[in-house]
Amino acid sequence: MHTRKLILSAILTAFALVAFVIEGAIPPLTPIYGVKLGLANVFTLFALYALGTRYAAAVMSLRIVLGSIFTGQLVSFIYSLTGGLLSFLLMILLKRFFPLKQLWVLSVLSAVTHNIGQLLAAVFMTQTLAIAYYLPVLILSGIIAGAFTGLCAQLVLMRLSKIHYKS
Amino acid sequence: MKNRIWITVFSVAALLCLGVWLFISNVSSPSRVVGIYKDGSLVEKIDLNSVTGEREITLSGEYGDNVILVSNGHIKMKSADCPDKLCVEHGELKSSSSPIVCLPNKVVIKFEDNTDGADAKTGEIKCIPGN
Repeated sequence: MHTRKLILSAILTAFALVAFVIEGAIPPLTPIYGVKLGLANVFTLFALYALGTRYAAAVMSLRIVLGSIFTGQLVSFIYSLTGGLLSFLLMILLKRFFPLKQLWVLSVLSAVTHNIGQLLAAVFMTQTLAIAYYLPVLILSGIIAGAFTGLCAQLVLMRLSKIHYKS
Repeated sequence: MKNRIWITVFSVAALLCLGVWLFISNVSSPSRVVGIYKDGSLVEKIDLNSVTGEREITLSGEYGDNVILVSNGHIKMKSADCPDKLCVEHGELKSSSSPIVCLPNKVVIKFEDNTDGADAKTGEIKCIPGN
């Protein structure tokens, strides 16, 4: 039945949106753009492993569009989308190599890709290559944030492994 | 087992990034000439050592104004109308590796190379809304 998956992905989208809005309300740790936890990604990862690629794509793209509307920041939409698309492409390409026990690895790789994508968008938007100096910080923050969000999704999924979402 | 390999790989990568970042952010710019860019094109070039008194530069963009404060040897974003004000929090422009950037208004402040017309090797102030 698709209904179950449909409902679950709707719930995950709502959760992701709430996480996104709450996280946006917390003052940034550093004055460097893009250094953030990306809590909403937990729900994308959850959808990817529990429901499959298509549902994860829906959860992520809806969250990006709705998140930009809710926070009223159209600029961030462009960066969000570039980073999101790149990291999602990476995720669906590499997912087959990472079973649930290595979900966190995929999460780190996609978080780093996400940050690189955002940086590329920023370089393109400002037409200033100097922003690329932030690359090491963004990779570092991607590794930390990706490991954290990945572990969140992985640990929850492992504990819920007896539930068959796909039925 | 596999996890251990990945942990090692990511730790090494993280340490490497940290090292590179610490290294480049401590290299102070030999140049005291600052370039202010809007939408990728140069608005003004200022030699910070030759500034006397204080001066404010206001740039208007899609998301409001950016006010840049220049005084002898110093430059910073004094205020901005963008939502998160990362460029204001950035403080003074110190290093060529951390330019001040305002992404909403596409304003970049960075040190210029000593050679004329060079661009990308410098510092800016950053100000971008949450992603």
